[in-house]
Amino acid sequence: MRREYIRMVVVLMIISLFSGAVLAQTYKVTIPKINENALRKQEAAIIKVIPGAKSFKEVSKDGVTAFEGLDENGNKVGMAFIAKSGGFGGIITMMVGVDMEEKKLAGMTVLSHLETPGLGARIQEDWFQEQFKGKSFDDGFVVKEDVDAITGATISSTAVAKGVKDSLEKFLQVFGGEY
Amino acid sequence: MKIWKDFIKGLWEENPTFRLLIGMCPVLAVTNAAINGVAMGLATLFVLVCSSTIISLIKNLIPSKVRIPCYIVVIATFVTIADLVLAAYFPDIHAVLGLFVPLIVVNCLILGRAEAFASKNTVTRSFFDALGMGLGFTWALTFLSIIREVLGMGSIFGFRVLGEWFTPFLIFVLPPGAFITLGIIVGLMNTFTRKTA
Repeated sequence: MRREYIRMVVVLMIISLFSGAVLAQTYKVTIPKINENALRKQEAAIIKVIPGAKSFKEVSKDGVTAFEGLDENGNKVGMAFIAKSGGFGGIITMMVGVDMEEKKLAGMTVLSHLETPGLGARIQEDWFQEQFKGKSFDDGFVVKEDVDAITGATISSTAVAKGVKDSLEKFLQVFGGEY
Repeated sequence: MKIWKDFIKGLWEENPTFRLLIGMCPVLAVTNAAINGVAMGLATLFVLVCSSTIISLIKNLIPSKVRIPCYIVVIATFVTIADLVLAAYFPDIHAVLGLFVPLIVVNCLILGRAEAFASKNTVTRSFFDALGMGLGFTWALTFLSIIREVLGMGSIFGFRVLGEWFTPFLIFVLPPGAFITLGIIVGLMNTFTRKTA
């Protein structure tokens, strides 16, 4: 009886160890490529959320990182920052672009999320992201009032709106006085 | 001859999707565009073939009381490999399939073949059984998703095949479309099989 128990534990342990070793190796091989993909996606997102930006440079101040969009002549055309928020299935990461002169949002795009496909995952759809464009810094970003929610995905919609608002406040505290 | 039979049965006679009706969750969920159907089918095929082969190889070492946890660990390993490889080399497809790739772990087709076939048969037979079942699953998903994409968006693999006169039936790319299409295909297949038998 006891020997049977020991055998069960040992076999399961050996299989798990093998599994761990194989996965560690796979992770090591694929992770540089995965990080590179994420970086490229982030670069594309920055250009997308700052209208007129052709390139950008990273700026850090007081531990907050943001991106400065530059047009072809190297003039500042706007800024962008990363917003994070706890959604329904995990962390939602967004790139938010701001127009500092007009004091409004220039664009928003979702970088990554773990929301339910077909419901919360619709935060990636254009109509949802477009509604943040042109919102004033003073807007409340209240879902169902000034932000349309996705049917059946109020939590995901709220998470995005709240994430944008909270990160915007943090961003303005540090970079707000520059313009 | 036996091996050929093991292989061929998954394609039609015991097709997991249209005849056995197992592994329905991804069948219904991801078949809204042809490319998703193909990608999901191939990812499942990869996991199924690898896990069936390994499980058949180690079947005599596994105590029967802990066989299910052992199978799941093996399956989960290959699913994670598939997930990482997709994320690294096919980021666009990975973004679309998203959560459905990790969910291959609980696709009952894979655990079903491990329990019903790989744990009782030789490595070679298990390999061909898994290959047949996996290809059967893949063609079923591809077929279903092509029908849904044509009717729901007027395109195949993103290329528009029907002209401007065609108004897409949006319902076919939404969940109800999956049930309607699957029901009609299963019905047709049953009628057809009964006639020839």
